[in-house]
Amino acid sequence: MLHFMAFSLRRAWLGFWKNGLMSLAATATMVLVLVLMSGLIILVIGLHATLDYVQSEVQVVAYMKDSASQQDVLALETSLQKMPQVSEVQFVSKAQARQDFLARHPGEADIINTLPDNPLPASLQINLSDPSNYVDVARYLNAQPAVDHVMNIQQTVDQLNSVIGVLQAGGTAILIVVGLIVLFIVVNTIRLAVVARADEIEIMRLVGASDAFIRWPFIFEGAMVGLFGAAITIALLFLSQGPITGFLADYFKVLPIEASTTVGPSIALVVLGTGVGIGVLGSFLSVRSYLIR
Amino acid sequence: MIMVSPVTDETKPSQSRHDGEPDGPAPRRPIADRPTPTRHVADRSAADRPLDDPVPTRIVLAMQGVTKAYPNGRMALRDVDLMVPEGDFVFLVGPSGAGKSTLIKLLIRDELPTKGLVLLDGRDLGRLKRRDVPKVRRRIGVVFQDFKLLPNKTVRDNVGFALEVTGTPRRVIVPAVDRVLRVVGLTGQADQLPGQLSGGEQQRTAIARALVHNPRLFIADEPTGNLDPVISWEIIQLLLRINELGVTVLMATHNAEVVTAVRKRVVALENGRIVRDEHGAAYHRED
Repeated sequence: MLHFMAFSLRRAWLGFWKNGLMSLAATATMVLVLVLMSGLIILVIGLHATLDYVQSEVQVVAYMKDSASQQDVLALETSLQKMPQVSEVQFVSKAQARQDFLARHPGEADIINTLPDNPLPASLQINLSDPSNYVDVARYLNAQPAVDHVMNIQQTVDQLNSVIGVLQAGGTAILIVVGLIVLFIVVNTIRLAVVARADEIEIMRLVGASDAFIRWPFIFEGAMVGLFGAAITIALLFLSQGPITGFLADYFKVLPIEASTTVGPSIALVVLGTGVGIGVLGSFLSVRSYLIR
Repeated sequence: MIMVSPVTDETKPSQSRHDGEPDGPAPRRPIADRPTPTRHVADRSAADRPLDDPVPTRIVLAMQGVTKAYPNGRMALRDVDLMVPEGDFVFLVGPSGAGKSTLIKLLIRDELPTKGLVLLDGRDLGRLKRRDVPKVRRRIGVVFQDFKLLPNKTVRDNVGFALEVTGTPRRVIVPAVDRVLRVVGLTGQADQLPGQLSGGEQQRTAIARALVHNPRLFIADEPTGNLDPVISWEIIQLLLRINELGVTVLMATHNAEVVTAVRKRVVALENGRIVRDEHGAAYHRED
């Protein structure tokens, strides 16, 4: 067994370097594939982060009746916090609302100041864990006696949801399509490397080499292509990490995205696993047709 | 008609050894590793027997009612019966397309018969398990018209390759290769690449590679097809010598001159049928 492993690894190593051009082609294709894949993954992760952020910003605002007692409002706040659809509840008092208004519209301070009373109602600002739960929460709020009215954000939520749906489905679809195409390309390139040595395989069969002796060197060689490809890709990602973070930070100023969390060890593992996986699969499929029928 | 049972019994010890053989290092000793080649080189501990010890004749190859039809409907072989006892030298002759290549493909189990039995050492190749195919192939040495050498390996490595890819340890390979190279007379060219060799030397390299597994049956498919008459004669002499060492030889050829001169057994195929099977015969029918 040890002898067999040594044999297979040695032949894989020699085979990789002896067929340098083919190995280079396969490895380069592999790098291309993996860079593309990790780029897409990072993009999708970024998209998700963006969407999560946007979703978390969707607020249901319930205006309180001025007549509502502090207790009622407090009770309502507590009950809301217990709802699974609700991620956060913030109470904005009348005074706070006035301050916020003044901060937003400094030019209109006079209007507010001339009024005898503070016309702005107190409100509860409710962040939803998922904006599609809007209806439940709104219905609940409308049933509460302390609530004057609930700001209608139905249309906003619907639009946001459809955009999110399209973006997520689109991202996943692109990832799958690109994944399949590149799998095909890599498998084909590895196949070329195997076909280039069809003579050798034929001789091995004729002299009575078992399937394992024919197959495993190629599988190791495919794994080597994957390994080298993954290493180069990870190095590239690592090098480009700084600029990418800078770009993302500039582009999505508000978003809490850090490239260090997206191009982290998990991406490196995915790249490594995919690279070696595709390499092994490619070799396996390519050699299969040459084995004993 | 075919005496299968004694053959099977005879080969049992060796077969069980093969069956127990893992894919890894093979414990077998190749032909050239042995002190003196004998009549029964292929198996058993031949080295323990004296040369003149009589050995009962065994059937190395038996075909019974073999028909081969290809998927495209072409009938390559029809109802072929052939029996080759150990130590025989058989010329397989016939026009192109007569079925010679198909017959050889059946013997190395590259193809399966549509009908009939192909027995190698009593083993039914048609019912061989996939994983046992390589073990059977190690008992057959094959050479072809186009040599099938690896251009980037030296003569020594080309021959050693056959042992290497069947899991033989290096310390066994080196002396075994040296010996077969001596048998075919290529010791001096051991470190040359096939491209530096003449056609005859290339074919002798291929022969050495086919011999290194110590085969029961040596098959040569048009081995002189690419060689000039003088070199062809050298190759035939070498095959005859290998035959004298106890290896059964089956040679498919168009070389009428050689066949007629050597006067060995001639099996002629035509349209997939055996039309002649004579001992000490010529290439063409003599009546």
